[in-house]
Amino acid sequence: MAETKIRSDVPQQEPLEEMHTLGEISDAVVMPNAPKEKFRIAEEGREYKTYLTKKFLERKPWKAPDPLKVLSHIPGSVIEIFVKSGQSVKKGEKLMIYEAMKMMNVIEAPADGVIREVNVKVGQSLPKGALLVTFRKPRKK
Amino acid sequence: MSLLSKKISELQERTQHALQGGGDKAIAKQIAMGKLPARERIGKLLDEGTFYEYDLFIQHDAREFGMEKKDLAGDGVVIGTGKINGQPVAVYAQDFTVAGGSLGSMHARKITKIMDYALKMRIPLIGINDSGGARIQEGVNSLAGYGEIFFRNTLNSGVIPQISVILGPCAGGAVYSPALTDYVFVVDKISKMFITGPEVIKSVLGEEIDMESLGGARVHCETTGNAHFFAESEDECFAQIKKLLSYLPANNQAEVKQKNPAQPLKKYNIVKTVPADPTEPYDVRNVIKAIVDNSEFFEVQELWAKNIVVGYGRIEGRTVGFIANQPLYLAGVLDCDSSDKAARFIRFCDAFNIPIVTLEDMPGYLPGVDQEHAGVIRHGAKLLYAYSEATVPKITVILRKAYGGGYIAMNSRHLRADFVFAWPTAEIAVMGPQGAANIIFRKEIMEAEDPEAMRKAKVQEYKDKFANPYVAASKGYIDSVINPADTRKFILQSLDISQHKNAGMPKKKHGIPPF
Repeated sequence: MAETKIRSDVPQQEPLEEMHTLGEISDAVVMPNAPKEKFRIAEEGREYKTYLTKKFLERKPWKAPDPLKVLSHIPGSVIEIFVKSGQSVKKGEKLMIYEAMKMMNVIEAPADGVIREVNVKVGQSLPKGALLVTFRKPRKK
Repeated sequence: MSLLSKKISELQERTQHALQGGGDKAIAKQIAMGKLPARERIGKLLDEGTFYEYDLFIQHDAREFGMEKKDLAGDGVVIGTGKINGQPVAVYAQDFTVAGGSLGSMHARKITKIMDYALKMRIPLIGINDSGGARIQEGVNSLAGYGEIFFRNTLNSGVIPQISVILGPCAGGAVYSPALTDYVFVVDKISKMFITGPEVIKSVLGEEIDMESLGGARVHCETTGNAHFFAESEDECFAQIKKLLSYLPANNQAEVKQKNPAQPLKKYNIVKTVPADPTEPYDVRNVIKAIVDNSEFFEVQELWAKNIVVGYGRIEGRTVGFIANQPLYLAGVLDCDSSDKAARFIRFCDAFNIPIVTLEDMPGYLPGVDQEHAGVIRHGAKLLYAYSEATVPKITVILRKAYGGGYIAMNSRHLRADFVFAWPTAEIAVMGPQGAANIIFRKEIMEAEDPEAMRKAKVQEYKDKFANPYVAASKGYIDSVINPADTRKFILQSLDISQHKNAGMPKKKHGIPPF
């Protein structure tokens, strides 16, 4: 009988000795195609040995949204701008026309305020999440 | 004193004691947090004087950690039956004043008892959640209790409407009962839902976030889609529940109580609402209001995935579920969230025999790496599945854009829509004129002396040929091209015709939707 070779594409698991603690995750290197990352979750004095997924390593930490910034919600381009810096606007007032997905979308002021800066120009193509307009910090009364 | 009066006065004493809940101090604390005590909540929710409470004298059965000495009134939960809009309902409300509303085995047994009643009597179930979580002293018995509740939520699903009201914390495993129910109601600053709280997130991942930003009412209505109705106060929340129930049947075999037929209000003019230019946005809710009785539209998940609108209205007194692309947000595209939202709504309508009307004006699926990586294929498939599987009357009206895969998904003839109508402004094609002309006439455009002029000419040529409803009409994919002003008339006629619709699915244990 011919000798059967067993081959595995999955790399041999190494003993989980050099583990990363949570604080070091950001410095960890992910090996391509290999679930190599190890770390330990220490909760209430107990440690869990585990590998990390790529998705987990690449996750973006949560950031509180900045109410002074108006961002694009969809990739598109700026068609017309109705406001300029220093201008006071009311909630719901038209800031610009932003074309995306065959539609002339109206970008409205999310709240009453004064425009600090219009961050885009007419004709500019933008990705999702681009900064369109910045509001001034309201003065404390 | 006769023996009977003695017995009666003993009953009164015991009742009085049990009704005190956690006592005056705990109740005062509850009120200071801006929350009502459990029985007051039930009183406000139900029709006056209709509540009958059961299991008032339940005692917990924990015998560890000194628990045997503790007297927990009703074991921290109130259960019973009553009426809303004159219709019977089953209800439970966790009582935060008793041991923080924590869930022990007897507490859970009360809840499962009323859930079983609701199923047996085929009446809607409403659960008011206000609990610190599992009662740790009871260990695995507490977990067993949650499991029994989740199992019944699943068993009841599609038989009776199940409503969850989050009026306090609902954390850890407890969140899965609301998640399994049909509609989740939350109140600003009061509702908190999460699996792991800010403390654990900070200690394990080092990320800092406050409770409101992590799992407050607004987050669940706007970001996660876990909740369906947002209210500023408990009173507003109860009014919303009553309103929702007025549109729903008591169970999957019952008819909805009909209202008196009424015309839409004159101020909603369907023709004036929708611009003929397909690049101009408008609020599709105004189209729905121009169709339904009294222009009353009750929107579900108003704040999440705003690019699709779902909700209830009535036509000639009968409940209809509406699904409509919303050009006002994200150009009305389909994406992960809007597919999820609409698919779930369709499945609810289908389970409870509510006809669905689809208003279509949609440029296609949202392009982008984030969408693709978020699984728009899987989520988008839910919408196809839900429409295809639904056997209730299904009516589609194409207002303007119906492009590409989105055209198929939005209850097209091909998914067995019963009636498909299109306005003369409809554009039904595989892609928009710009993209299509660039592909079909690439060579001609490249080789032309003036490529830009050639492109324009070819775009126009494509527009004239395909950006209309008549190609689809010539194949019978749509039944009629209609005058927009006649939309209500056509929908009403279709609903009348399909009252006794009987279209089954092949026999199977159950399908496998792309969850």
